[in-house]
Amino acid sequence: MLHLHENLKTTTTPLRYDGHTSVFLPAVATIEDVKTETALEKIYTVRLPGGQNLGHVPGQFVMVSVPGVGEAPISVMSSPSRTGETFKLCIRKAGDLTGVIHLLQPGDQIGIRGPFGRGFPVDTFRGKDILVAAGGLGLAPARSLIDEVLDHRSQFGRLIILYGAKNPSEILFRDAIAEWEERDDVEFLMTVDRPDPTWFGHVGVITTLFPHVEVNPYKTVAVTVGPPVMYRFVTMELLGKGLTPEQIWLSFERRMKCGIGKCGHCQVNHRYSCQEGPSWTYAEALAFEEAL
Amino acid sequence: MATKPKIAFFDFTSCEGCQLTVIDLLQTHLGLLDLVEIVQFREAMSEKDEDYQIAFVEGSCTRKGDEARLLQIREQASMVVALGACAHLGGINALKNRWAIENVQTYVYGKNGKDAYESYPARPISAVIKVDAVIPGCPIDRYEFLRVVQLILQGRKPRLPDYPLCVECKLKENACLNTLGKPCLGPITRAGCNAICPTYGDGCEGCRGWHPEANFTYMREILRGHGLSDAEIDARFTMFNHYQFQHMGDEAPITTPISPAKDEPLPTSTFAAPKEA
Amino acid sequence: MSLYILPKERLPEFVRALQGNYRVVGPVKTEHGFAFDDISDPQQLQLDYTTTILPPKKYFLPQREVLFSYHTEQGDNGRQRIEMRPVYQGVEPTVIFGVHTCDMNGIMLYDKVFSEGFRDEHYMERREQIYVIGIECLHPCDEASFCKDMGTLTAPPVYDLHMTDAGDFYFVDTGTEKGERLLLDHVYVKMAEKEDIQKLGQILSSKWPRFRMRLKMSRDQTPALLTLGYQAKLWQELGERCLACGSCTNVCPTCFCFDVIDENDITLQNGERVRVWDSCQLYEFALVAGGHNFRESKASRVRHRLMRKGKYIKQVHGLIGCTGCGRCERACLVHITVPGTLNALHEEMQLEPGV
Repeated sequence: MLHLHENLKTTTTPLRYDGHTSVFLPAVATIEDVKTETALEKIYTVRLPGGQNLGHVPGQFVMVSVPGVGEAPISVMSSPSRTGETFKLCIRKAGDLTGVIHLLQPGDQIGIRGPFGRGFPVDTFRGKDILVAAGGLGLAPARSLIDEVLDHRSQFGRLIILYGAKNPSEILFRDAIAEWEERDDVEFLMTVDRPDPTWFGHVGVITTLFPHVEVNPYKTVAVTVGPPVMYRFVTMELLGKGLTPEQIWLSFERRMKCGIGKCGHCQVNHRYSCQEGPSWTYAEALAFEEAL
Repeated sequence: MATKPKIAFFDFTSCEGCQLTVIDLLQTHLGLLDLVEIVQFREAMSEKDEDYQIAFVEGSCTRKGDEARLLQIREQASMVVALGACAHLGGINALKNRWAIENVQTYVYGKNGKDAYESYPARPISAVIKVDAVIPGCPIDRYEFLRVVQLILQGRKPRLPDYPLCVECKLKENACLNTLGKPCLGPITRAGCNAICPTYGDGCEGCRGWHPEANFTYMREILRGHGLSDAEIDARFTMFNHYQFQHMGDEAPITTPISPAKDEPLPTSTFAAPKEA
Repeated sequence: MSLYILPKERLPEFVRALQGNYRVVGPVKTEHGFAFDDISDPQQLQLDYTTTILPPKKYFLPQREVLFSYHTEQGDNGRQRIEMRPVYQGVEPTVIFGVHTCDMNGIMLYDKVFSEGFRDEHYMERREQIYVIGIECLHPCDEASFCKDMGTLTAPPVYDLHMTDAGDFYFVDTGTEKGERLLLDHVYVKMAEKEDIQKLGQILSSKWPRFRMRLKMSRDQTPALLTLGYQAKLWQELGERCLACGSCTNVCPTCFCFDVIDENDITLQNGERVRVWDSCQLYEFALVAGGHNFRESKASRVRHRLMRKGKYIKQVHGLIGCTGCGRCERACLVHITVPGTLNALHEEMQLEPGV
């Protein structure tokens, strides 16, 4: 029998605007800061009306709007522990909307709906070792969990972070990485697929890091976030280390148009990623024919 | 917007109907002129400025002499937009590609035709220069033109619908012409015109080109069901898209030869026989 | 609730009386068949119609629906300011005549989809103003119908009024109090008496033999059949045939997937965010920004549609997602049909008939 974590469904209500009620109407948020992270990614600090707290859990996403261009789901990069009057989004320039977002400056307004999705069940992670395997931009949603763990460090066991980037120029969060490498209570390993002359670290896909990690399969939860191609191989490694499908969390990217479980785009078999996902345990994913 | 982008219109082998559609649009959407400055538009104005950023090009390339002008436009413009089926696909101009070019010249312009008029197989402008965006159709849909201009002004990349015309036709609750016994190429043709021809009872002729998943095999089955011969079906498939099929070579879903056959007789025109040029 | 008798000659009077207070729509004759449309003259109403291209869902979820309007401008600080106002489109008292029982089943599913979980106010506001007047189906629409298989030959509890043709009069059953008020306030009807009710019973029971069964399995077995047949070869065959035109989903009374897009006015400063019908049969439906398409092949999309109809919608909303109306079959130029597909799957899985 699978444990479908039904009790973990979020009950977050959508943000309201001007007293009107429409699940499709975004809140008018303001960009407070823009930081260029790589050639492709920028980090946006966003403030909701009145500085209200986003009230999310790690792994959730928001729908970001630029009226006149459109709306798209973006994972929240901030951990709840580091979310006060503002929260952070790490946005890759990948399409039409994100291209326009990359032109925005501090002071510009954007629309925000959410948070949506189920997120990671952090409460059930307490007392356990946390292994985060992040590929590329996947480090942004993973960051919301990593920082949450770091800010409540004593409540968790080991924190192991495995990060794979395509090439050194695409490495995200260099400041945070420097901190993780410094800390004794974080085990951080990083690799790049295609090195350049500046690179002296591991070379290879993220799975090549696994032989360097020992885990206790009885007390570890693994969280995997990255491009679709990564999941199958990372999951094989984790199973090889003795983790059960229930201990492995995967975050799936899907096209989303509404965030409220109606528009149909994000369906994986009968389930809506925007509601019950975007993170699933591998046990749940095994029950999907269309997941991986 | 601090400075309005300068746009220019150019025509090659075409009927100029697409530019006429733009002029028609301007009568109802004058506000467009608040967003852009038209610096060259032979069909609409006599002023002519060679300083422009966005070039709209109507017509196909059918002469060696067209190439230099196209290259010059590409050199100047930061964005080139193909306007209409001729520029986008080669269009009906490419029908002549089926015959040897000398025969076509003689047929159309008389026995001195090949000396008097330059001509070579018709091609879409993308065969000569890089094209940044396309507004398909014969003629173009005015609202699609407007949308594309808006997208360019927003710094976005205009994209064409990737689905067939049937989608728009169904949303309008039109009775399906194919089920009424009227051949319609809607199932293989790219949407975006709001299914205008089927809405008025005429079968789609494919002027917007094929959508990426066009199922020619089953489209042919449907048309055979209307009693059309394979040659007649080929004729419908190639009406606007001859160049595309020619380009596909042996892969083309066509039963009749598509490349020039020197000796194949030219069709007899239903119009008066052309007199000596 | 209560059963009334409405003489046929009084139907025009009822329609005219309603027109004063309501938008009245219903099946009308078109050049090539029937369609739901606004009724300006009661004579247009064709309650004995067969089927329509689009189901009445277009009044519940319009093909194009504005969700909010927006205005953008440069603020005092030189930065972009945005204003947004919600729009509730098509919220007006509307009476829909002549809804077949299959389509009422579609409406029942729609009501669940848009009220459960996140409540969709745009749908619900409009829905609350709609009166559904059903018409009992006494004959199958045509060969494509398989409502008997799908158990949609009886009216589900979504109607305000439900009419049954009894020759020179209609039986009118009241499904809701507001429906009963609608009837009694706008036309003179008499209560049905005991012998009338017996006559209604005869009419209803005698209709069943006119409808044929087309499925080799029962409706309740389709989820299991689809589970078994997920990897069937059949999907490849259907995928090759499919035109990827989305007609099947656009005409489907239970398909509700939509796209959300922004439409700007000429100034580029003002515009509307609209939702438009979308289809899981189209290439881009499951395409993500990174370029990965989760349903790249037509075979996977055809399968997804059938899975939704016969299994997924039931898993999520508790109702089977197909009403047996036959519209997708009529619309499909390459003859992909729900009964044909399910029967072929049944055969490929080598199941005994009825198992």
